[in-house]
Amino acid sequence: MITLEKLNRSEAIRYLGGAGIQMNDQMEVLMDECEKMVLEKAAPKFLYIELDLPCDTIMGGRDIANHLDGCEKAILMCATLGAEIDKLIRISQISDMAKAVVLDSFASVAVEQVCNKVDEIIAEKYDGYNMTFRFSPGYGDYPISLQQDFLRMLDAPRKIGLTTNENFLLMPTKSVTAVMGLSKNPIERKKRGCAICNMRGKCRFRKNGEHCGL
Amino acid sequence: MVNTVDFRELLKNKEFVLLDGAMGTLIQKSGVEYDSVPETLNITHPELIKSFHKAYVCAGADVVYANTFGANAYKLKDCGYTVEEIIGAGVRNAKEAVSGTGALVALDLGPVGQLMEPAGAMTFEQAYEYYKQQIVAGSDADLIVFETMTDLFELKAAVLAAKENSDKPIVATMSFEANGRTFTGVLPACAAVTLTGLGVDAVGVNCSLGPAELEPVIAEMSRYTELPLVIKANAGLPDPNSNEYDVLPDDFAESLQNLLKYGIKVIGGCCGTTPEYIEKVRDMTEKNKYQPQKKCVDTTVCSASTAVEINGPRIIGERINPTGKKLFKQALVDNNIDYILTQALSQVSGGAEILDVNVGHPEIDEKQMMVRVLKAIQSVCDAPLQIDSTKPDVLEAGLRHYNGKPIVNSVNGEEASLSAVLPLVKKYGASVVGLTLDENGIPKTANGRFAIAKRIVERAEAVGIDRRDVYIDCLTLTVSAEQEACRETLDALHRVKTELGCKTCLGVSNISFGLPNRELVTRTFLTMALEQGLDLPIINPNIDSITGAVRAYRVLANIDKNSVEFINAYNDAAPCAPVKNPSDTDIDIFTAVYSGLKSEGATITRKLLDENIDAMQIVNEMLIPALDRVGDDFEKNKIFLPQLIQSANTAQECFEVIKAHISKTDGNTVSKGKIILATVKGDIHDIGKNIVKVLLDNYGYTVVDLGRDVDPQLIVDTAVEQNIKMIGLSALMTTTLKSMEDTIKLVRERKELQNEDGSSKCVIFVGGAVLTKEYAMKIGADYYCKDAKESVDTAKLVLG
Repeated sequence: MITLEKLNRSEAIRYLGGAGIQMNDQMEVLMDECEKMVLEKAAPKFLYIELDLPCDTIMGGRDIANHLDGCEKAILMCATLGAEIDKLIRISQISDMAKAVVLDSFASVAVEQVCNKVDEIIAEKYDGYNMTFRFSPGYGDYPISLQQDFLRMLDAPRKIGLTTNENFLLMPTKSVTAVMGLSKNPIERKKRGCAICNMRGKCRFRKNGEHCGL
Repeated sequence: MVNTVDFRELLKNKEFVLLDGAMGTLIQKSGVEYDSVPETLNITHPELIKSFHKAYVCAGADVVYANTFGANAYKLKDCGYTVEEIIGAGVRNAKEAVSGTGALVALDLGPVGQLMEPAGAMTFEQAYEYYKQQIVAGSDADLIVFETMTDLFELKAAVLAAKENSDKPIVATMSFEANGRTFTGVLPACAAVTLTGLGVDAVGVNCSLGPAELEPVIAEMSRYTELPLVIKANAGLPDPNSNEYDVLPDDFAESLQNLLKYGIKVIGGCCGTTPEYIEKVRDMTEKNKYQPQKKCVDTTVCSASTAVEINGPRIIGERINPTGKKLFKQALVDNNIDYILTQALSQVSGGAEILDVNVGHPEIDEKQMMVRVLKAIQSVCDAPLQIDSTKPDVLEAGLRHYNGKPIVNSVNGEEASLSAVLPLVKKYGASVVGLTLDENGIPKTANGRFAIAKRIVERAEAVGIDRRDVYIDCLTLTVSAEQEACRETLDALHRVKTELGCKTCLGVSNISFGLPNRELVTRTFLTMALEQGLDLPIINPNIDSITGAVRAYRVLANIDKNSVEFINAYNDAAPCAPVKNPSDTDIDIFTAVYSGLKSEGATITRKLLDENIDAMQIVNEMLIPALDRVGDDFEKNKIFLPQLIQSANTAQECFEVIKAHISKTDGNTVSKGKIILATVKGDIHDIGKNIVKVLLDNYGYTVVDLGRDVDPQLIVDTAVEQNIKMIGLSALMTTTLKSMEDTIKLVRERKELQNEDGSSKCVIFVGGAVLTKEYAMKIGADYYCKDAKESVDTAKLVLG
């Protein structure tokens, strides 16, 4: 069970494209309100299973192979904020688009925070192992279609109501699936970085001289 | 071969009906290997599956669930077998296993595995087809069970598929979380009310929690249905490490015994349970008696997430109705669903508990529009809806696509209406408004109207509709035209309420037509009607004094106990901001728009118009330059996106004032041209597209918003039908860029959208996070817009 108490505001501001923009009172009020709403509606849920490597069912492309190189085990995880958040954003898109945009940013921040907490839970459980960062379908050449198989392996539709549509997009939308490698041996502390990112060359963060942080 | 014992007889004759325990748990324990789809074991290991069924029958199960839970076309896609093969084998195995024991076999069906609209993309029709295929394939089973359902709308599609393709008994159970709701937000009350209406044989819960934790869920269901309740709980909760469940067989049975008082008749086990659990349950039930529930709620209507019991006056909002409303009519013609949604949200915040939905207009396809509007409203609004149309085919389409138990508005005393509408109300389990008029018009006297009401109630009961679900409308006539009629309406209402025991409904606002100070007349009439027993006033909930009259009545009539609702409505209201007198404020329209001050913007615009400043001058010389400045600042990274949007919304308020002013003075609307916007097929991210829409709207363009996950054909057809020359497409995922390309291709190929030389009449602009200018050009777009601001620039360039 994960509960969020606070959301990382500077991250939300970054998602809003806001590095270097002066906040005014109106924005502050809007941010306060939206953070509160997201915390209220978010119902974080997650699942994970341990897999022994090599494991063909989670492989696809070179990037994941690199990522899991030298690992004995992999953790397959998924997490979601639930359907209420999508509904909240949907409603605000009718009544107040400005709010919808801020809510959307906070919700993205929230699902990231949930994933970080899952990381902590797993790291604690696998004390003595070294763990890679989360690698998700859609990064680099890792096929997004795998999300459907992942959810099936995790029994996610039944257990936490997380599904994909026919184009393998996650629903509810504020959700994540990912693979982490575990090894008793030291592993290179890789960051995700821009090299494998499919937004490379199009990313608005980089245009502003920033990083998305992953 | 269908068993000679019928499930319905079991329900009638046996004290308790025992179901089996978990199939998955036994499969796991056996250690048998299978490739991702456990239902393939029906074919690869039939003897193993049969042994599980036999074990449950030995333990006392009257019904076993065939191993068909996930055997639908979506989940079986890559397993190498067809739905017919897997379900055929599953039912056959179960039949052979129970042969000679008298036990029944249920075709067991779970969720398809995709989220439905609006949260996901699966349509009602798609869900229906998945279930229909399974139901036909499982025609040898004795009954049909839907279980572990979390979406009431999907379950409705399933139940209708069962009813329309078989005559087997139906058991429907949903899975609730510890917060008392399903993953999609369904309340136990709403499940009970809706499924009872749809005519299932038993309703209840399964999976997710242990029996003790399910008590609040079962308790709530039990208040909302008289059907036998079903419980198939887990053996407690799984240990996160070992995956073992924590409730042992004896405790499982004991917890269930504590729940019998809620009307449970059908009992089994879900995850973690084994034959041992069922044995213990059998022993427990042998020592107990079925205790049918004493239903305590009155007639109730609901959406999937809100139940409204009609146990006192409840407000029905009247504003989703084009009659006499120019802007509403225009919105229907333009397919401007957001306009209608805004009306829905504002009525609910005004105090409406149910919303009437009428979209009848000669220039549109009412049936299509009804479905579209119902779906859209239900995606943003929890209030139950009243489906309002004079056409039975529109009512049926609406009833099919409504998630919950709606009200049908309406049937009347005419034979044609009675025989067309009442069977629909029964089939879809709705409530219905009965108008006291017939072939001869509206009777002048209370007696005449009462006689029609009586006839409607009798006819409703004859097709199996409970009279509590008939809401009689004794019809309000305009008092300025027929002054003596008001008394007749009220007398008829009183008689219907007291003598027929029906609920009553009344469109109130019509009373004051043609008089000055309408609000006063309407409110007084409303109060009189409430005192005569009016349950469902249909009013404009955004008139404070009218809504307030209903709230006050509830207090004075001792319905709103301790005035809780009244106090909540008025005491918690945010302290009113001091009303600024616009003449006192020195801000101009430019500042209002730039700072995103909505109400100030509207007030100042009104003031300018009153000063006879030309509307187009305000638009072109004040609003547009302000918006341009905001756009520039956004581009230069001086302000945030939400600020850009707030400014745009303020401009929108100003435009609304101007539009209303112009349509009052010369009837023309200001539009700089029409633009189609859509998120392409397969993509469900629409926030970017919606931002573009807000901006285009505010620059005076008419946006035809086709939504998200839009079929290319619909885009092309709309462009042709409405003669639209500019199309904006959005895609957020690399995987859906292909759809964008397909859509562009289809637009280019369509003859009607080509000039004589074969070149395209349509300008297509595209955007979305993963797009680049190069890629946009490569797939044949005319413009790439990196953000909403650029979309506006492009629109200006193309349409002026």
